[in-house]
Amino acid sequence: MDKIIPLTSELLVSLVSFAVLFVVMWKFALPPITKMLDERADKIKDSLEKAEETRVEAERLLNEYKEQLAEARLESSRVIEQGRKVAETMKDEIVAKANEERESILARAREEIQGEKRVALAELQASVADLSVAVAGRIIGTTLSAADHAALIEKYVAEVGSLNEN
Amino acid sequence: MENLGPAVTKLLEELNPFAVLGTGATQGGELAKNAVVLTNYSFFLIVAVALTAIFFLIASRKMSLVPKGIGNIGEWSVEFVRNNIVLDVMGSEGVKYLPFIVTVFFAVLFNNVLGLIPGLKPGTGTLGTTFAWGIMVFVVYNWIGFRKSGFLGYLKSFLPSGTPWWLIPLIYPLEIISHFLRPFTLGVRLYANMYAGHIVLGVFGIFVVMAASALGPVTAVVGGLSLVMQIVMYAFEVFVAFIQAYVFAILTAVYMNGAIHAGSH
Repeated sequence: MDKIIPLTSELLVSLVSFAVLFVVMWKFALPPITKMLDERADKIKDSLEKAEETRVEAERLLNEYKEQLAEARLESSRVIEQGRKVAETMKDEIVAKANEERESILARAREEIQGEKRVALAELQASVADLSVAVAGRIIGTTLSAADHAALIEKYVAEVGSLNEN
Repeated sequence: MENLGPAVTKLLEELNPFAVLGTGATQGGELAKNAVVLTNYSFFLIVAVALTAIFFLIASRKMSLVPKGIGNIGEWSVEFVRNNIVLDVMGSEGVKYLPFIVTVFFAVLFNNVLGLIPGLKPGTGTLGTTFAWGIMVFVVYNWIGFRKSGFLGYLKSFLPSGTPWWLIPLIYPLEIISHFLRPFTLGVRLYANMYAGHIVLGVFGIFVVMAASALGPVTAVVGGLSLVMQIVMYAFEVFVAFIQAYVFAILTAVYMNGAIHAGSH
């Protein structure tokens, strides 16, 4: 029975020690620790909320960009299509103009050639007549009368002319 | 084998408190109950309490938002008591009493663990400490009860709700007795666990020494097994040191919680 009666000194020492420890913990050690625990809990909560906000914002931006991209694609294909059409019409116009020009150049060239040809023929006729008369005079040895002369030339020219006409 | 009796007697004597300061009048070889002395248990109690204070003071000065080092251990320790004892038992109302319960838990824990170092004694290994703390818990929780519910209100709350009037004379004294037993059960539970742990370790130690001093085929086996058992029991005592601190603190929380809600049933 004596064993379970505690020593008075031990009772007092343990009570005083506990009281001192309690004051130290309560006033000095625990406040910074519990403050930090609460602060961290708040900080984590804040960070999570902020992360969620950022995620939503990012998603919104992504959607916006996707929309803009799709719009830009549409726009660019529209522009290309338009460009192709313009080019097509321009090509047609150019080709038509070129054809026209070619026709007109050809026609002019043909006219010029015709004119040159006519002049050349006339000159040819004149010199051929003179030449023929001279040659014929020499061969025959006689001089033709003026009347004969003229008749001959006429005949010749008519022949040459008919030749030329073909 | 004939040495076992004296060896165990010596072991038990070894566990008796003795004065390291002051001269205690002795009664039949033991300290007088009212001797003004500092016992070996009280000495290690002061050491353990000082270590507790130093640990938490250092830890609390090393707080950082990203937990690390000793600050992290301090935080984790407080968070453990807050979540697993205070919030679990008392809910958010109990946070007010966190400093008291943290102090109870770590005072008991540091003492229990310090006593596990060979040659040292746990401050909680003597009835002087455990009774004192049990009575202290008793006073604190009843004080809270009287403050919360008023003197008569708190006294009335000892009756379980729905008690028939004719059972009151029987139930009421029983409830009062059960309350007055609490400080003693708190004290004896903790003391007995520490005391028994040291006896178990001591007895296996005696076996090992006796086997070694009379070495033979049988004693080698017995001594070897005892050594293994001593290591196993030592690990178990580490566990007990923690569990008993936890039990002491959680019962403190339970009693306080009962006192806080005394008026509401």
